[in-house]
Amino acid sequence: MLKNDLFTNNLAETILNRRSFLKWSAVLGGTTALAGPLGIGLQAASTSAQAATKEGQWIPAACWGDCGSKAFNTVHVVDGMVVQGGTDDTVKDSASCPQLRACARGRAQRTRILGADRLKYPMKRKNWAPGGGKKELRGKDEWVRISWDEALSIFASELQRIKGKYGNTAIYSPTPSTASVYTEVSRTLSLFGGFISDYASCSSGTWTDTGVAIGLPRSRLNTGEDFNDWTDLPNSQLIVLWAYNPAWSRAGYPSYALLQAKKAGAKFICVDPFFNPTAQAMAVDSDDWYPCRPATDHALVLGMAHTLIVEDDPKTNRLIDWDFLNRCTVGFDKDHMPEGADPKENFRDYVLGTFDGQPKNAEWAAEICGIPAARIRRLALQIAKTAKVSIMMSPAPARVNNADSWPQAITTFGAMTGHMGKSGSMVGSDGGHAWLAGGPPIVYGGTWIGRPSNFPKAPPVKNPIDIRINRNEVWQAILTGKYTAGMNKQADINIQMLHFAKTERINQVAGSVKAIEAFRKVEFVAVQEHFLTSTAKYADLVLPATTLWERYGSLSPAYREQIVWTSQVIEPLFETKDDVWMARELGVKLGLDPKAIQPYSPAQDIINQVAAATIVAEDGVTKEPLVTITEEDLRTLGVEGKPQKGRIPILEFKKKGIYHVPRKPGDKYTFIMLKDFRDDPVKNKLASKSGKIEIHCQTLVDVIASRGFSTVRPIPTYNRPIEGYEDTFSDWDKKIKGPYPLQFIGLHVPRHSHSMFANTPWLREAFPHMLLINPIDAAERGLKEGETVLIKSRHGKVLRNVRLFDQIRPGVVVMGEGAWVELDDATGIDKAGCSNVLSGAISTGQGHQGWNSTNVQVEKWTGAPLPPDHKWPQRVVALGGDK
Amino acid sequence: MAKQLGFHHDASVCIGCQTCEIACKDKNNLPVGLRYRHVWQFGGGKWVTDAGAGNQLVPSSVFVYTLSVTCMHCADPACVKVCPTGAHAKRASDGLVLIDRDKCIGCRACEQACPYGAPQFDAVAKKMTKCDGCVDLLAQGKNPSCVDACLMRALEFGDIAELRAKYGDNASVAPLPNQSATRPSMVITPHRYSQPSGSSNGRVLNAPEAG
Repeated sequence: MLKNDLFTNNLAETILNRRSFLKWSAVLGGTTALAGPLGIGLQAASTSAQAATKEGQWIPAACWGDCGSKAFNTVHVVDGMVVQGGTDDTVKDSASCPQLRACARGRAQRTRILGADRLKYPMKRKNWAPGGGKKELRGKDEWVRISWDEALSIFASELQRIKGKYGNTAIYSPTPSTASVYTEVSRTLSLFGGFISDYASCSSGTWTDTGVAIGLPRSRLNTGEDFNDWTDLPNSQLIVLWAYNPAWSRAGYPSYALLQAKKAGAKFICVDPFFNPTAQAMAVDSDDWYPCRPATDHALVLGMAHTLIVEDDPKTNRLIDWDFLNRCTVGFDKDHMPEGADPKENFRDYVLGTFDGQPKNAEWAAEICGIPAARIRRLALQIAKTAKVSIMMSPAPARVNNADSWPQAITTFGAMTGHMGKSGSMVGSDGGHAWLAGGPPIVYGGTWIGRPSNFPKAPPVKNPIDIRINRNEVWQAILTGKYTAGMNKQADINIQMLHFAKTERINQVAGSVKAIEAFRKVEFVAVQEHFLTSTAKYADLVLPATTLWERYGSLSPAYREQIVWTSQVIEPLFETKDDVWMARELGVKLGLDPKAIQPYSPAQDIINQVAAATIVAEDGVTKEPLVTITEEDLRTLGVEGKPQKGRIPILEFKKKGIYHVPRKPGDKYTFIMLKDFRDDPVKNKLASKSGKIEIHCQTLVDVIASRGFSTVRPIPTYNRPIEGYEDTFSDWDKKIKGPYPLQFIGLHVPRHSHSMFANTPWLREAFPHMLLINPIDAAERGLKEGETVLIKSRHGKVLRNVRLFDQIRPGVVVMGEGAWVELDDATGIDKAGCSNVLSGAISTGQGHQGWNSTNVQVEKWTGAPLPPDHKWPQRVVALGGDK
Repeated sequence: MAKQLGFHHDASVCIGCQTCEIACKDKNNLPVGLRYRHVWQFGGGKWVTDAGAGNQLVPSSVFVYTLSVTCMHCADPACVKVCPTGAHAKRASDGLVLIDRDKCIGCRACEQACPYGAPQFDAVAKKMTKCDGCVDLLAQGKNPSCVDACLMRALEFGDIAELRAKYGDNASVAPLPNQSATRPSMVITPHRYSQPSGSSNGRVLNAPEAG
């Protein structure tokens, strides 16, 4: 008998066994949160005291939020019931081998997985019929509980009907994040003839294409982003946190690593419109805060570059590292151009305004970025005159419309100052965009954040259709039947079916309102989910999935030094099913071979991954197997395999759940990005066309042009962004503000990992989802602390309560991203505060998501005040037609 | 002097991530509404026009810091003084202030008296509840849940005399009241910009009733 807590927001906990829950939900029709104070009111320690009477067991438990961080979570399971969470205590905590401690979200995980709002049964929309039925009711229809057989039959018959009528290109089934990662059902759909997907850099912004084009080495996530090794951080004298707030966006270990640099004496500077918690903890002084306006970082860095160019004197005032520029870059000035390039098209002359008459000096930059010219010069000189400087960035400034040249601009500034390829110095974006893991992993294996296996030991499955629409254009493509297929090339498309698994497209892609419109146009929408997320809510068919706590396990890398193996915690809740099972059974309905979809069992899959995991030996080069496996182990685990010798017995690893590699400064794992290149750029060429860092980059021009949205020059010119600061004015020259005079940014916040955890009452309570506004902007609007406001953009409207915050730049308002949209069709207002209601789906440059260029207006709300969302009812599905 | 257990909080490294608060909720199975630990966010400063820079706005002395606070297990606890039934008492062996639920009548006098907001009303049991220092974990030789959860290693628990020997004796940091009132068993390593108790330079930025 399975026992578990089912957390609701108005109960402490409801400890029920499964049978009684089933009975209760039948009685209540599942329409209300469960009532009854079961298990509440225990004095602080009594739950654990009860648990202590039975031994129970601690199990390594998965946490797979796409938070950009990684920690180690455990749960205490007693008598089949999860009684408490825990974190890493497998090593004695030290700076060289820190415990991988879980963040607030990880510590709240059990209330999410065992929440009363978990989806329990397959269900269809009441007014659905083949072809869609009353499509306009999507999002507000009743739900009807159905059997798995009926659910899979509906899914299969709609696939066949739509394929027969329109062909496979009518099926849109985007993959979670990048096109290379399939969902489980995408294996089935591939064997069924294929589907169309999409593309758009979301997280890395324009670093994805630009970083690689200009020659920066591909890092852990295959972008041009990387950092120096964290063990080298204490060698920095000055660390510039450029839109970099790991305290929130990389919860857990990265802030602690920065702290070691602070303790070693590094000084910290913050460039960010938000005086963020990382800056707070690193003791940044108010005078060292450079509150650059969103989407204007590029202008700031050009002003800084101008300062160095005009003030540098190689003999008397050496500010520029000419040696590095000469040896390692092309395009800085007319004497260092790549072959065949127009010598006028060089960075130095652009900055000086030689040919366009506009010097990009500090005064020019100040007008755009909002930092006074004297401070821009001060910042440039401080960075140039300090020997060891690390400029640590998030990709936030690259998640801006038209920001394709930004990574090139900041890299150019880094090259000018020479803070590259040396211990203590770097100019990098977000540690390979992963986990502060500057440098390659030391332990390899598993899949990222619980992503599905691609069954490497089985024949590969390939999607025969290679149409990928830009993610910003998908909703428009559904509505108009056209999409951009290249420069000056519009192509026809007729999307009639949407399928989503492990992805939240209404909520987490810019343009939520348009997304809902598109959802209501197509003939069929199927979703695999844990909760009634925004995307599931607007579907026809919802298939309830198990979480990783209900599956055999998962193997996932963490930072460079750790790998985490989590195991099953509980039996599948209610009628939830593994996504692999769904993929296979759907295949059976479609007449496909289920073995091709799932070639081996979940246990075999995980053990295969564990067996294949490797560790880099202390010499820093040799890869060795991580685990030791004996014949007896294979029998115990009930899987096939071969014995092998490694560092840790497989059963010990399974029980412990984490493997750590201790570090020490100067060890063979130490990684300094671009060091080999700097030391010998001839021998260690970069992957760019010239083999050098391309300040003039024709490849980038060609890549951007090929997408068909906008163009860039080969040098990093400032490209005025759509919905940047300038667009807050109706008349920029006369400085007359327009209807959307404020800039909006949506932050990664501790309460959500994107949309994940946004339904968790503990986190909703701990981290109120408010709009942060400077008191100056609040006063202009007559707003007081806590009052409800209507936030309007060109794309939608949301409600929020305001928090007055001097730590936000005036003219900028800030809100966390990830809240689950609650759109009122009549008013068009989202009361949940979903940032993508405000941000527009605008394709520019490489087709990335440009969230941080969003213009808004904020006004006092005259309707009823908005109650905090931890007091809202959870999305517990009312199954009107229970059977 | 009798043994007294207490907390050290290093506000100079705290990122305000509230992992301590959620680890506490998990340990104690707390419903929404009960928050034994609270992380105060205190900040100040303002924006001024820079006459030398075309009247652009610039930040002036802007600062923010966070303090993670729970029951202070005070040497002179206000809750014990006002409790009409003797439900609140200091444990002789280690000075922890504990609530005897059998004696508690839920009159909420302690809630009013405590300047730290530690005792909270459990509306279901109609009794008071608060941090007990994770007495069960202490009995097993472990730390309170919050301490081993801290991402920045900013919390420490132990003999307050030893903690004071290491970290000094300051717990009078805004927005907390001056420590002279109840003699809290807590030591704070202040943030670079910490303000003293009662300071008018700054304000609480995350009033818990907002949202």
